[in-house]
Amino acid sequence: MVVWSKIRRDFPVLNQLYEGKNLIYFDSACMALKPVQVWEAMEYYYKYLGACGGAGRSTHSLGQETSMLTEEARVNMASFINATSPNEIIWTRNATEGLNIVAATIPLNKEENVVTTTLEHHSGMLPFYKRCQETGSEMRLVQAGKDGTLDPAEFEKQIDDKTKIVSFVHSSNLTGTIAPLEEVVEIAHNHGALVVSDEAQYAPHNKLDVKKIDVDFSVLSIHKACGPTGVGVLYGKYDLLEELDMFLVGGDVIEDVVYKDGKIFPKYLPPPHKFEAGLQNYGGMMGAGAAVEYLQKIGMDNVHRREQVFSRKLLEGILELEKFEVLGPLDYKQRAALVSFRPKSGSVNHNDITEYFNEMIPNHKILMRSGNMCVHPFQYQIGLNPGKGEGIVRASLYIYNTMNEIEIFLTELENFAKLID
Amino acid sequence: MSDFKNRNIECIMAILKEKSPATTKELLALTDKFPDLCIGCSSGGDVIMAGKELVEQGLVERNWTSKGYSWKLINDTV
Repeated sequence: MVVWSKIRRDFPVLNQLYEGKNLIYFDSACMALKPVQVWEAMEYYYKYLGACGGAGRSTHSLGQETSMLTEEARVNMASFINATSPNEIIWTRNATEGLNIVAATIPLNKEENVVTTTLEHHSGMLPFYKRCQETGSEMRLVQAGKDGTLDPAEFEKQIDDKTKIVSFVHSSNLTGTIAPLEEVVEIAHNHGALVVSDEAQYAPHNKLDVKKIDVDFSVLSIHKACGPTGVGVLYGKYDLLEELDMFLVGGDVIEDVVYKDGKIFPKYLPPPHKFEAGLQNYGGMMGAGAAVEYLQKIGMDNVHRREQVFSRKLLEGILELEKFEVLGPLDYKQRAALVSFRPKSGSVNHNDITEYFNEMIPNHKILMRSGNMCVHPFQYQIGLNPGKGEGIVRASLYIYNTMNEIEIFLTELENFAKLID
Repeated sequence: MSDFKNRNIECIMAILKEKSPATTKELLALTDKFPDLCIGCSSGGDVIMAGKELVEQGLVERNWTSKGYSWKLINDTV
């Protein structure tokens, strides 16, 4: 049994008064808070090791332990998503970089097409848009439903035998929609297409099994999973990673660079190292390994179950107020633990709402995000105009939140609703 | 202070010299008039951050109304 109050105590940010107020942190879809275990792992590196690690670098004691701990972190990450081998785990700076690696290096010609959706984070859409611009390939968009759901039948319409890759978000950072990943993978594979899933929002909150889903590539942002900033993961099936060209080259990706007859002949390492050019973020990798180990100890099923209860309370509580429009599906079972909303009247700018909750609530600071969440196309699709400053407020939850916090928020939101036109 | 932030501070000052007080909604709607100064994501977060800086500097006042925050220029010497 998980003692959630004990979990909460692992997050010192929440155990402080900030400007004299208690913090209610509802911005985990942007950045999860970090437990003690994560920064202790990183502190160990910076305090006691601080050395080079990785392929072909320092073999002294500190270098050896650095290499060993970063490889342990890779093993933890492979276990977290049930990859076949740690060699399928590539460290990146974030999910965006992982998507850029796939988009930039996948073989693609102008007769082929790429399929993505209107619900994508810009990071899932723009790297492929840019590549298609370069190759002259067609980019096809599956239109999400008005409620932010993605229908496998719409993918069927867009995917054909000329589709090279399908890129889409497993759990939307805007609507919270959980996409039918397994069904889309099957459709894509039936046409010989590959699939890359954006797991930035899904993996920190649910058990992700890349082997069972049979997805070809996945990307994660560790900072949304209790880990440090500046660390992400690109998962790829090993044979596909072998085929991909490198995104960056330089030190650490090389077995040898022969100089002969006035020319150089580089010989690259196999995956994952061929994708990890230059000195790496060793402390960050160790923090990432500690983060997913921490989550696995809690149990991802436990995380999901608790968040479903909270998600329902938050969603239904906002809907009950009737003054706010909620983006995304209205069934809590179809969505992640986040709710994006805005006043139906449109009288108050979204930035003012988050500012109000940050500053005007007695005894508490309720921290949420406002804006367009880097998902402009879907908002244009449903009639919002991000270009004219229209946006939404997003409240997003994680393992350290409590039912009491949600109740406080809903009470304050009800009070707020009375203050606006 | 970064050039990015400086430009957004100039953006708010330029808008409030034209219309003061202005609600956040009005203020962000007027950013189109100063495209060289008002930069950042169209959601307006960067402009708001700059506005808060001006409140801290005592050049602008911000008060809550039923239409959200109202921004008022109280010192236009900058």
